[in-house]
Amino acid sequence: MSKTMSANQETPLLVVQNLSVQFDGADRPALDNVSFGLRRNEVLGIVGETGSGKSVLARALMNLLSENGRITAGDVLLDNQSILGMDDAELRRLRGGRLALIGTNAKALLDPVETVGSQIVRVLRAHRGGSKRTAWREAVDMLGKVGIVNPERRARAYPHELSGGMAQRVVIAMAMITSPQVVLADDATLGLDATIQVQVLDLLVNRCRELGLGAIVITHDLGIVAHFCDKVAIMREGRIVEIGPVGKFLSGPTQVYSSELLDAAKVRPTPIVSKTPEQTTGVKSATLLDVANLVKHFPIPGTNEVVRAVDDVSFSLARGETLALVGESGSGKTTIGQCLVRLLTTTSGRVTFDGDDLIGMSEREFRQHRRRIQMVFQEPYVALNPRWPVASLIGEPLALLSATESVDKAKRVRELLDAVQLPARLVDAYPHELTAGEQKRVGIARALATRPDFVVFDEPTTALDIRVRAQIIDLVRELQTEMGLSALFITHDLNSVRSLAHFVSVMRHGKILEYGPTETIFASPQEEYTKTLLKAELPIEQSQAQRERGEKRLTGAMR
Amino acid sequence: MKKNGIVLRFLQRPSAVIGLTILALQVIAVIFAPWIVPYSPIEANPLVSLEAPSVAHWLGTDVSGMDIFSRIVYATRINLLISITAVIVAFVIGVPLGLLIGYYRGLLSATVMRLFDFIQSFPVFVLGMALVSVMGQEIWNVAIVLAVLFIPMFARLIRAEVLSLRERPFISAARCSGATDLSIMFRHILPNAMTPAIVQISISIGMAILLTAGLSFVGAGVRMPTPEWGLMVSIGAQQMILGVWWVALFPGLAIVLAVLCFALLGDAAREVADPTARRR
Repeated sequence: MSKTMSANQETPLLVVQNLSVQFDGADRPALDNVSFGLRRNEVLGIVGETGSGKSVLARALMNLLSENGRITAGDVLLDNQSILGMDDAELRRLRGGRLALIGTNAKALLDPVETVGSQIVRVLRAHRGGSKRTAWREAVDMLGKVGIVNPERRARAYPHELSGGMAQRVVIAMAMITSPQVVLADDATLGLDATIQVQVLDLLVNRCRELGLGAIVITHDLGIVAHFCDKVAIMREGRIVEIGPVGKFLSGPTQVYSSELLDAAKVRPTPIVSKTPEQTTGVKSATLLDVANLVKHFPIPGTNEVVRAVDDVSFSLARGETLALVGESGSGKTTIGQCLVRLLTTTSGRVTFDGDDLIGMSEREFRQHRRRIQMVFQEPYVALNPRWPVASLIGEPLALLSATESVDKAKRVRELLDAVQLPARLVDAYPHELTAGEQKRVGIARALATRPDFVVFDEPTTALDIRVRAQIIDLVRELQTEMGLSALFITHDLNSVRSLAHFVSVMRHGKILEYGPTETIFASPQEEYTKTLLKAELPIEQSQAQRERGEKRLTGAMR
Repeated sequence: MKKNGIVLRFLQRPSAVIGLTILALQVIAVIFAPWIVPYSPIEANPLVSLEAPSVAHWLGTDVSGMDIFSRIVYATRINLLISITAVIVAFVIGVPLGLLIGYYRGLLSATVMRLFDFIQSFPVFVLGMALVSVMGQEIWNVAIVLAVLFIPMFARLIRAEVLSLRERPFISAARCSGATDLSIMFRHILPNAMTPAIVQISISIGMAILLTAGLSFVGAGVRMPTPEWGLMVSIGAQQMILGVWWVALFPGLAIVLAVLCFALLGDAAREVADPTARRR
């Protein structure tokens, strides 16, 4: 056994040789001379920003490119057999059989009108045949192995009855059921909560190691690579910039681009607290926002019951301070933000802003305050009217200013573009012509247009590429210090909280569990839930826990 | 720049080219009718009643001896006028109405929707005959009837778009930026909701031509001697059994061509407006 194992260790399972892919009408190849090898028992992380060609690579490995794409050069060998020379029947056996792909957004990958059990059965029987009964048993068995509680019952569930994490496990089970030789995970945990993400990745990597498979994890999160992969390949513009063992990469990347990426992913030091009166006098005189016993219930249609989205939440914020609301999806953090800017009516509670009660105000009275309370929306693209050019988008809030403070609109728009470091030529651009980072900046410029005192940032760093994310964090830090902005950050990205917030509130099920200065919370969390959240964070910096995990992995591989 | 791209894409579609060609012929007929036609379209000449197509009468004559070619050319004026007016009126009333009932969902909106159900569930010809017999057989009355029929169509289209658009994050963002209800409705939602309604204009004109002809055919439209395609088909149908085919056939073909023209233009507009349909 150990002999064959060592023999296998020497011949790579999957070899990619000088692979190049060209799409019709593209001015440069989508993949350019990509070469690497993958051994059994090895997890390779492929990291790159949007458009680096990492998803094209996954599809090229399965010979599954869209019609306008061609492999122009190179070869892919699985167990010394070229997949490019395969006929259709062999390719069918390969895809999902010997080479399994796990995609993003599991709920969209599953057929909504069929139970998940029968979808797994269908995959299994397509590759191995056999009776429905035995296939069903195997499917249920596999669901159990991927950590689904009560698999017998869950197998009969439809995709919409499952949570995101559960659906992702089903997709993993579907990929594993045919005992593939190589598993490709293309951003398989994108959009999952951090704790779920760690569970899913743990499961995926452990299953691969147990079965001696090769795995390729495609991601834009270096934290995932640092914690789960043995080897890492950095991709840019269709080329592999750098490839090597993870440990070596983390301690010192050899290429400029990869060290840029690594730096961008690292935590910034906590922002310097601008001198607030509170610190000098010790009196909380400069309280800007005070939220007391805020409650928001959503009625459940057709019943008399309610969802307690926000359940008796209180906090306060002084001028120039930044508070982060941290929690997983469904914890009620976004609801709080929307209540503060009055996008939602509040069920009960009191919100005092600079001495004025916001809840009791009429819409007309609140309009006077809108210019002082602004919000930056989560998804930059959908929060911008697709038919409006940048100048109109940024200029819109200026209508909130009263006649006496009215400004030259064009001039102010230029100032704002400058403040968020966007070139002035973008004034006439439409949202779809901008990159995600530029869209985010427009969203921020819009919120700053009226020089507000307080800004709610809803998930400012989610779904952004590594370097863009770092740029946005730096930008917000600068704006905070320059403008003395008070801000509320709503996020599940703990990494960015460290760089942006003075105080942290941990939320769960509509309540605040724990509150304190950022460093205190991160250094010594009191609540069990906070500890779980922090453990699920995947910082680049090698932590003690990770080194232990790595050692366990090594000894496991040697066994 | 962007606008030019759309026009170019539109012109690249064969259906658009065919549609525009037929439309051009119709426009020529509308403008130059008095110079094109050899005879008066409304003067009866019993001496040449029911003559087959010949050099003198290209498409033959009808029972009262009126030249069919001349009448078809002149009828283009009436038919297009009625149809286009009706659709424009329906568009101008239906679009803001749909915007309102989509944006403010309350008792009023529900009531308007039930009214639409009522209008749309009523047999078209019964409604048309009832309205025209009350108001009189004038061409404007036919246009009003058609407009009433088409208002719910445009309003529903817009309402459906508004219902999904009003929940989009950019509307919340606009509200935070201080946009009023009026500004959200007309400056944010409407420009994003218009595309299906604009595509529908062309298809509706085709339907309106068909309905105008249909109403005249059953006697609820315009009256003789006004040249109108449906009316001409109706008169010709009586002689069809006697082997006199030309009186009904040629105006019928004119209807087919006109409806086809607007249907093709509508299809092309839809394909250009909806990129997902283009790939099919």
